[in-house]
Amino acid sequence: MIPQASVNDQPPLLEVKDLKVEFDTYGGSVQAVRGVSFSVEAGKTLAIVGESGCGKSVTVQALMGLVPMPPGRLKSGTATLRGRNILGTSQIDGQDFRGSEIGMIFQDPMTSLNPTMTIGRQIAETLEVHRGWSRKKAFARAIELLEMARIPEAEQRAKQYPFEFSGGMLQRAMIAMAIACEPAILIADEPTTALDVTIQAQVLDLMGDLQRDHGTAIILITHDLGVVARMADEVAVMYAGQIVERGSVDDIFYRSAHPYTVGLRAAMPINDPSARHRLLPIEGSPPDLFSPPTGCAYAARCPYAMKICSTDEPSSFVVGQDHFGKCWLHHDQVVDGPKKILSGAPMALAGVKTALTNRPSAENKS
Amino acid sequence: MLSYTLKRLIQGLITVWFIATATFLAMHAVPGDPLSGAKAMTPEIRQNLEEKYGLDKPMSEQYLIYMGNLARGDLGISFTQKNREVNDIIREHFPVSATLGIMAVVFAGLGGTLFGALTALYRNKWPDTVIMIVVILGISVPSFVFAAFAQLAMVKINGAIGFSLLPVAGWGSVSHIIMPALVLGLGTMAYLTRLMRSSMLEIISSDYIRTANAKGLPPTRIFLKHEMRNAVMPVVTVLGPAIAAITTGSFVVELVFAIPGLGRYFVQAVQQLDYTVIMGTTVFFGAFLVLMVILVDLLYGFIDPRVRVS
Amino acid sequence: MADQQVSASILSDPALQLGAFEPMKSELRVQTLTRPSLSYWQDAWQRLKANKRAILSLYIIIAMLLFTLLGPMVWRVDPAEQDLLQVSSAPGAERSAIIVAPYSAWGILEAPKSADMQSNQAPAHSDTLAPSEAANITGLQLAETATTQQVRLEWQSMAGAADFAVYRNLVKPTGPGTFGLPLGTTGSGEVRRYEDLLDLRPGRFFYSVVAMDTTGGELPQSITLQVKVVNAITLEEAADRQLIKPGETRELGSQVNFALHPMGTDYLGRDMLARLMQGARVSLFIGIAAPVLFVLFGIVYGSVAGFIGGRADQLMMRFADFVVALPFLLFMILFKIAFGIGPGESGIIPLIVAMVILLWPATARLVRGQILQVREEAYVNAARLLGAKTGYLVLRHMIPNTMGVILVTLTFAIPSAIFTEAFLSFIGMGVAAPTASWGSMSNDGIKSMLTHPHELFFPALMISITVLAFNLLGDGLRDALDAKMRSRE
Repeated sequence: MIPQASVNDQPPLLEVKDLKVEFDTYGGSVQAVRGVSFSVEAGKTLAIVGESGCGKSVTVQALMGLVPMPPGRLKSGTATLRGRNILGTSQIDGQDFRGSEIGMIFQDPMTSLNPTMTIGRQIAETLEVHRGWSRKKAFARAIELLEMARIPEAEQRAKQYPFEFSGGMLQRAMIAMAIACEPAILIADEPTTALDVTIQAQVLDLMGDLQRDHGTAIILITHDLGVVARMADEVAVMYAGQIVERGSVDDIFYRSAHPYTVGLRAAMPINDPSARHRLLPIEGSPPDLFSPPTGCAYAARCPYAMKICSTDEPSSFVVGQDHFGKCWLHHDQVVDGPKKILSGAPMALAGVKTALTNRPSAENKS
Repeated sequence: MLSYTLKRLIQGLITVWFIATATFLAMHAVPGDPLSGAKAMTPEIRQNLEEKYGLDKPMSEQYLIYMGNLARGDLGISFTQKNREVNDIIREHFPVSATLGIMAVVFAGLGGTLFGALTALYRNKWPDTVIMIVVILGISVPSFVFAAFAQLAMVKINGAIGFSLLPVAGWGSVSHIIMPALVLGLGTMAYLTRLMRSSMLEIISSDYIRTANAKGLPPTRIFLKHEMRNAVMPVVTVLGPAIAAITTGSFVVELVFAIPGLGRYFVQAVQQLDYTVIMGTTVFFGAFLVLMVILVDLLYGFIDPRVRVS
Repeated sequence: MADQQVSASILSDPALQLGAFEPMKSELRVQTLTRPSLSYWQDAWQRLKANKRAILSLYIIIAMLLFTLLGPMVWRVDPAEQDLLQVSSAPGAERSAIIVAPYSAWGILEAPKSADMQSNQAPAHSDTLAPSEAANITGLQLAETATTQQVRLEWQSMAGAADFAVYRNLVKPTGPGTFGLPLGTTGSGEVRRYEDLLDLRPGRFFYSVVAMDTTGGELPQSITLQVKVVNAITLEEAADRQLIKPGETRELGSQVNFALHPMGTDYLGRDMLARLMQGARVSLFIGIAAPVLFVLFGIVYGSVAGFIGGRADQLMMRFADFVVALPFLLFMILFKIAFGIGPGESGIIPLIVAMVILLWPATARLVRGQILQVREEAYVNAARLLGAKTGYLVLRHMIPNTMGVILVTLTFAIPSAIFTEAFLSFIGMGVAAPTASWGSMSNDGIKSMLTHPHELFFPALMISITVLAFNLLGDGLRDALDAKMRSRE
C-alpha cells in the first residue's frame, strides 16, 4: 500500500533556495553545487542520494558553514531555518545555531572525534557551551544520552577515549553528541557507509527512534538506496551539483521521473538467489565540474538522450504531488516519455519492493 | 604505567653502561701514554694515578677498575689540575649549564609552540611571513655566528642607550641568563616552529575539528582544547633530541658569552688533553641525556591517552 | 515546493528547433581519458618543478658546486699566499698606490733647546696675552702628499701656546673631547709641525691640532684638517712584490695598483675569494661525503634488519638505539682524539669517519621502518600472489618506495653535516688553520668582527646559503615524493 504524502499546513522548518557553491582552484572554478533547492519539515526524513562527487556533502556543509570559504565561495542562494537566514553566518540572534538547532554527524566516527578527549567530555561540551551548564551537570546528562543511544555500561564508557570504542558504538555516541541539545534537525552525512550491514541497522534504528521520540527532522545523505528505502520520507536525487528528481520515497522508487534514478535502482545488486541477473552499471563518468555541460549534465550517459538535451538545460517538470523530475522526457512533445524512463529497470523494482515492505513502522509515520 | 617506567629506567641503565664502555674504548684507542701530556707531575702523583687506574695493567683489568669506579660514582681526578676530583668539577659547573639549558629549552618550547600555532592560524598573512623569515634565519645561520652577532648588537645597544640593558658576558644574575638562553634556544625554536606549524595545519583541516565546528563551539575553545592539545604532541616527541641539540649548542654559547659552564670546561679539557675530565664529562652528559629522554617519553605517555591507557 | 514548476503543457517555445526531441546520436558518450598517465618519478619531478623555492635552491646548489670545482681554475690565486700590503682589507678597498722614494726623515726638527725648557717654569702671569684671549691656530696644512708612508702636517704659530697636541680621527670632530686618537705632542710652542707614522692606512682622516698651555692643559684653540691618505710604495718594494715587471721603472708619483681581491683579504693578507673556494671544497666534501656514507651504511643495515625480522631485527635495532644515545658532540671530539689528532690540528678523514660512526642509526631506522611497512602493503602481497619472486619484489617495489625517504633524509643530512663541521671547527675541534673551511674561517673572522666584519661575513654567508638551499630542496623533495610526508604549506 502506497502511503499518502502528507500535506502540512505548517511552513517548512528548513528552506533552501537555489543554492550555488563554487570552489576557486588553480585550474579554474569548480561548480560543485549548481542551484539546489529543497525543504525539510519537522519530524520527517529527507534523503539526499547521489554518487560520489555529486555535491551532496558540499550542500549540507555549506548550510553548516563547514566549507572553507577561500577556496569555497557562496555564489548565490538562500537558506532559512524557521525563516531566519543561516547561510554565510553561523549565528541566529547571536547564538550559534550549529549544535543547538542543527546537529551533524559524519561518515567516519573514528576520525571525527578528538582522540585525546573522553567521549563524555565531548558530549558534555555542547551542553556547556550552548546551555551554560556546569561540567558536572553536563557530564551526567552525557551519560544519560549514551544510555539513550543504547551503549552498555554508559558510565564507564563516558570516561573512555574514542579509540576504545568500536565503529558502530562510536557512531551511536556521535549521534548522542549531535542531539544532546535537542536540535530541530539532524544532518547525517553518510553515517553508515563505513559500517557493517548489521551495525548499520542498529544505527539507523536508533536514528529512527530518536526521530519518533523527539520529532527531530533528519537530512540523510547517502549513496545507498537500501538505506533510503528504509529511512526516508522524502528523497532528493542529486547529480552533478543539481537535484534531478524529488519526491516521496514511493514516488522515487515506483514512479521514477528521471533516467538517473532508474539507473541507480538498476545498479543495486539483487539479493535473490533464484533470479539470475547481471550487475547493470551506468556507463561513463560524471561530467567535469570545471566547465559543466551546457545542456543536461546526464545527457552523455542517458539511454534516451535527445538533441535538446545537449543544448538546453531541462526544466523541472511536475509529475505528481510534490514530485518533480528535471528531464526533457516529460515535455509534451515527447511520446511516452515517462514510460520510457520507467522501462529502464524492471528487475530492480522487485528488490526495492521487498525493502520497502520491510520498512519498520512504514505505516506509523505521522 | 609503572611497569613501563621501570622498563625504561632499566633500559636507560644499560644505555649508560654502553656509553661508558664506548667512552672507555675510545679513550684507550688514543696512542701513547695518557699521562705523557700531563705536565709537572711529580713521581709520587704519577705512581698514585697509575695505581688508581691500573695504567700498567692489561686493558680488560683497566676496564673492570673503570667500571667499578663508575659504579661507585667515582669519576676520577683531573689529570691536569692537581687534586681536583672530576665530581667536584661537575658539581661546580654543571648547574650553570643546566640552568642555561633549561631556560633555552623553555624558550624554544614555548616560542616554537606559540609561533608555530600563529603561523598556522594566520596562514599566508603577515604574521606567517614574518615568523617564517625568522625561522629561516634560525635554521640557516650557524649558532656561533648568531651568538657573536647578538653579543655585538648588545654592545652597540648598551652603548647607544647609555646603560647596560643586558650584560653581554659573564654569569651571576638573572639578566645574565637572558641573552645566552635566547641565542642557544633560537635554532631549536625555529625547528619546533616548523614542526608545530605543519602539525597544526594538518589538525586544522582534520575531521574532528570539522565536528567541533559543527557542534558550534566558539573558536577560542576549539583552538585551545582541540587544536593545541593535539598539535603539541609531535613537538613533545622531539623534545628529547631537542634537549640533546641544545646541550650540544651550549658549548659555543658558553665560549662566546664567557659562561663558566661544563661545556666550556669540557672544551678546555680537550685542549689540555685532561683524560679523566674528558671521560667523566662524557659519561655524565650521556647519562644526563638518557635521563632526559626517559623523562620526555614519560611526559608524552602522560599526555597521549592512547599510550596511557594501553 | 519552492522550485520552479513548469507544467508540461505550457512549454511551446517557437524558438525550439525542429527535431529537438529526436534521439541524440551516441557520439558524445563515454568520456575518454585526456591526460597521459605519469609514472611516480615523472609525477614527482613535475611537482618538484612547480615548487619555485626548491628549484631555486637546486640552482643555488649547482652554482655552489661549480664554484667549488671550477672556481679555482678561473680565479687562479693561491689561497695560502699572503699579500702583506693589504692585510684585512675590505672588498672594494682602495688599491691604487703611488710610487714614492724610500722614507727619509723630515728635515731637522726645531726642537727647543734646554734653555727653552727652563723657561717653562715661568710664572702663570706673563706680559703676553692671556692664552684664552689669543687668536686661534691657523694655517694647518699638509707639507706634502699624505701617504701611508708618512703624513706631515704644519701650521702657523699661535701666541700663548706652550705646546701643541695632535689628534687623528675617522669622523669629523665636533669639539673638545671628540678629536679622536691622540698621536702626541710637538714638545713646544715653537714646533709647528708633526709627522704621523702610526699605523697609517689609506682613507679619509681628520687631523686636529690643539694648543696647550704651560701646565700641559688643553686650550680651547684648535684647528682640524681633513686629509686623504693614499697608499704609498717604494719602487723597490713594488718590484719585490711583482706589482711591476722586473726591470721596469716608474716615475715618482706615478700610480701602481695592488693586487685585486674581490672579497678582500683576511688577517694574514690571504685572498678571501681563493680561501672561500678552498674552504668550499673542504666543507662541501665533508658535508656531502659523510652523509652519503652514513646513509649508505644505514640503508644496508636497515634493509637487512627489516628483511630478516624477528629476534635479529630487535637486536640490531637495540644496538642502533645505543649508538643514538651517545652524546654526539662529545663523541665526535673523543673520536678525534682517539685518532691521535690533537686540538688545533686538522683531521678531515677522522672527522668523516666519526660522523659516519655516530649518525647512521637514524637512516637505518627509517629504512627499516619503510621496509616493514612496504612488506605489509597490499600491493606486495598482490604481486607475490601473481608469482613475483623476492628479488623482483625488492627491486621493483621495496626500493622505489624507500628511495623517497632516503633521498629526503640525505638532503637534510647534508646541511646538518655542514653545520656540524662548522661548529667543530669553530671550537677548534674540526678543521684548523691553516686549512681553510668555512667553519675555521668563521672562527678566524669572529676575532676581528668589529673592525673587519667582511672576514666573518663571507664564510658565514656561504654556510647560510648552502644550508638554506639544501633545507629548501629537502622540503621540496619531501612534498614531491611522498603524500604522507608532505607538509602542508
